[in-house]
Amino acid sequence: MSRFQHFRIFWLVFFLVFSIKILLNSILSTDLFTYFSYLFLNTKLLFFLNFRKKNILRTNKVLNFLFKMQSKRPLSPHLSIHKYVLTAVFSIFHRFTGIALSLGAVLLALWTYLIAMGEDYFIIFQTLSSHLIFKIFLFLWTLAIFYHLFNGIRYLFWSYGKLMQLGVVYKSGYAVLFLSALTTILVWVSV
Amino acid sequence: MKNYSTKWIIQRITALILIPLTFWFVYNCLQLASFNYDQTKAFFFSKLNSSLYFILIISMLYHAKLGCETIAEDYVTSQKLKNITKLTINLLTYAFV
Repeated sequence: MSRFQHFRIFWLVFFLVFSIKILLNSILSTDLFTYFSYLFLNTKLLFFLNFRKKNILRTNKVLNFLFKMQSKRPLSPHLSIHKYVLTAVFSIFHRFTGIALSLGAVLLALWTYLIAMGEDYFIIFQTLSSHLIFKIFLFLWTLAIFYHLFNGIRYLFWSYGKLMQLGVVYKSGYAVLFLSALTTILVWVSV
Repeated sequence: MKNYSTKWIIQRITALILIPLTFWFVYNCLQLASFNYDQTKAFFFSKLNSSLYFILIISMLYHAKLGCETIAEDYVTSQKLKNITKLTINLLTYAFV
């Protein structure tokens, strides 16, 4: 009897220890290896819940980072630090002409107001346009428009990851200059 | 609109709209500079011209607004000044639309 008892106690202890080990392993572990090793036991739900709990934190971290990436953007490099490279000068001029053209857009809106107000107000525009300064201003405006347009097309290609090679970038820059000069000359010759 | 990626996409879309429209507009604009009042009126009374001009102005001002905002974000260092410049840009655009 005593021999059997001893045997029983041994199995009881072994079962208890092993079950606790399985339970603890299933609760505390978060790697997929243990998940698959205990797949055929009933402890997999507990493990899965814990796995989710641990991973929610991780996914939240990633989501937070993604949200930051979406809400803010990487700023462009500061001007005073870097050496002037041709592409950088192109970018600066792109922005500069952009500001100038946005002011020009405001003037264009004012011009439409003048048309809409009537003939008496339109005389203001006609007196302005008779000056030679206006012609020079218009010439510069067309040049800025075409430069901004062609360089913008170049940037559109870049945003799809095309024409990004080092040699091609410089070539396309010179092409932009050439095209903008050519179109302005063509427009002014035709008028 | 807080999401910057949608802003970026909208800027590209407006740019794509503006590419053909600028060619059309510059071609007409140099004629318009020397027109009388009646001639300009005739230009704007045709349906095609007026609708195209409307699309041009809207997309141009929105594009300009987004561009100026990005420039302000890049080069205006203090946060207060940045906000002020953004506000003025927004006010200008909405006033002229």
